[in-house]
Amino acid sequence: MSTSLGGYMGKVLRLDLTTREVSEYPWSDEDRKLYLGGKIMAARILYDKIKTKIDPLSSDNVMVISTGPLTGTGAPSSGRFNISTVSPLTGLITSSNCGGNFGLFLKKAGYDALILEGKSEEQIWIEIAEDNITFHSAGELWGKTTGETQEHLGGKTGKLVIGPAGENLVLYASIFSEERAAGRAGVGAVMGSKNLKAITATGTKSVEVSNRERVKAVNKQWVAQLKRHPFTGVQLPKLGTAGLLSSMHARRMLATRNYKYGQFKDFENVSGEVLAEKHLVKNVGCVSCTMQCARQVRVDGKLVKGPEVETLGILGPNLENGNLELILKWNYLLDELGMDTITCGSTIAFAMELNEKGLWDNGLEFGKVDSLSEVFENIAHRRGIGNILADGSKRVSERFGGKEFAIHSKGLELAAYEPRAAVGQGLGYAVSNRGGCHLNGGYFVVMEGLGLSMDPYTTKSKGALVMMFQDIMEAVSAGGSCLFTTYSMIPAALALKPNSRLTRLANKLMKYSGGIINIVNKFPGLLSVNVPALFPHTLAIDAVTGMKMNMGKFKKIGERGYNLERLFNVRIGLTAKDDDLPKRLKEEEQVPGNKLTVVPIEKLKQKYYKARGWSKDGRPTASKLAALGLSRDAK
Amino acid sequence: MIKVRFFGMLRLALKVSSVEVEAESIKKLLEELQKMYNIDSELLKGTVIFVNDKNMNELQGYKTRLTAGDTVMFLSPVSGG
Repeated sequence: MSTSLGGYMGKVLRLDLTTREVSEYPWSDEDRKLYLGGKIMAARILYDKIKTKIDPLSSDNVMVISTGPLTGTGAPSSGRFNISTVSPLTGLITSSNCGGNFGLFLKKAGYDALILEGKSEEQIWIEIAEDNITFHSAGELWGKTTGETQEHLGGKTGKLVIGPAGENLVLYASIFSEERAAGRAGVGAVMGSKNLKAITATGTKSVEVSNRERVKAVNKQWVAQLKRHPFTGVQLPKLGTAGLLSSMHARRMLATRNYKYGQFKDFENVSGEVLAEKHLVKNVGCVSCTMQCARQVRVDGKLVKGPEVETLGILGPNLENGNLELILKWNYLLDELGMDTITCGSTIAFAMELNEKGLWDNGLEFGKVDSLSEVFENIAHRRGIGNILADGSKRVSERFGGKEFAIHSKGLELAAYEPRAAVGQGLGYAVSNRGGCHLNGGYFVVMEGLGLSMDPYTTKSKGALVMMFQDIMEAVSAGGSCLFTTYSMIPAALALKPNSRLTRLANKLMKYSGGIINIVNKFPGLLSVNVPALFPHTLAIDAVTGMKMNMGKFKKIGERGYNLERLFNVRIGLTAKDDDLPKRLKEEEQVPGNKLTVVPIEKLKQKYYKARGWSKDGRPTASKLAALGLSRDAK
Repeated sequence: MIKVRFFGMLRLALKVSSVEVEAESIKKLLEELQKMYNIDSELLKGTVIFVNDKNMNELQGYKTRLTAGDTVMFLSPVSGG
């Protein structure tokens, strides 16, 4: 099915691994206009294909690997692709985004997306070379690490691989492309359950755009804007995401000792500053990105990817570990084994507390972390206690108790941001479609201290603001852009002058912005404009695709995606009760005696549902779905 | 003495992680640091300033009084991950 729009290759490839049947999945320009690409496109496909609760590791599960229209067009920071499926950790729809080069090569091969269905009887890898699709035996690849597998496959191709953790169905196994991970919610286990070790893609096709000259001009402007901004142009290249850790500590937002505390006495030892001063060899980045936020460090003499802030937080303060050298080693090891550093570290922190409280005698202790490499290996190969830890915190708590301090939402462990000092982020964790995710939750912590400084404890307007951030990030991701490009929403004039009257006023006014957001959400026509200083994305998508795009339409696409994922989850049994946080974060005051330092989740949830136009039990209403063009899904 | 800890871009620029300074307010502290490191005051004012775990803007801003033993942190104005 071809396309008249730019930015798309016009083909979605469907592979049935059971029968090895190869076919084209119908995907029209109308679909492209409604769902854009990436995770929203994937949500539509999964919603149409999976209609009941399934075993995520069975042949019933479907995996959609999709790109956005900006991928491969030279738009800055657009070398991203998305993997959506039903998560083995949550049993719900999940999406995991990756900055490796597979998306770019998939488009070179002539496809916007891949749909993987069924399950191969034997262990295989798949080669996609434009129209030639070959199923190979993965006999000699099975057992290899993610790095070894990619090296073995060789050639100038896009590669997507799992490591031993994916093969052994560790519920939080990741998928890798180059050194970048589709890290969260166990997408690697789903790939492993299909007996699929790797996919390669190659080709010589190029992405056609609607207006080449305009695309060049928009991209040039956008690159200059990213370079000028204090975050995307200075902080990220120099310190990476790791540069955030010190600010998290200062604001009591740094998960420490299994989320017992928000500060860690030795935080500086594992900070981005020390990483830059002592270990950084150079900064590198994804295809077509000017930010170059990834850290390259040396581990045992080898140049490898350094840790992101979430990894530093979860494997550092959350385990009471102040040894940065160990984290560098673990980060590399976990990548090679192919599993999520966040869920893995958080599950271990939980196990440490279970041991401390006498609920599970497992030998793990806070601060005593020298032998954790062995534990990681045991998890990846499901040996000994590793076999239990491989199932994540929720299942471990069901077996040994301690549910009140098992730090997950819907089965997915939270990232390193402690939400008792940023309750909007807490709301995001609780209502996120994929479970306790900082990004899918709307990443509101950036407005509660890390970018601007809105009152982090107030509940005022947080429902509407979190909704708006979720929708915008959903659309940005579906377009193919990195979420860091959304930092343009914080004007440099405010970001550079955190103590100015204007910035302080902006911080104060935010808690009164809910009403305006609700009006704009109801009447998106009010946003029928492009404001490139805040949202270059809409101009870029307009120039690339030829769709008439503006901020209102763009936000509505994001809202459609968020509602569609929610609807998927509701249809298979999710209720408002699942939008929750562990008792520790709801009832244990982070600062004893200060009642504000808990997440008042029930109050926040109802404000959020109201802003979303959902019922009190968290279901998208028929009128909301009609407004989003999803009437056919309203039953 | 006030314990001053530098983070973020300011730390990379100064190549100093911490220092002890005598100052009775944030304003005076900024003046002292400006002299010590010969840096533009805008660079210092462009950071988020915490006094003993509280943003100075929640206290008295630049007029916030300091007493011996206080810790002042200079942080990046914007960060994320």
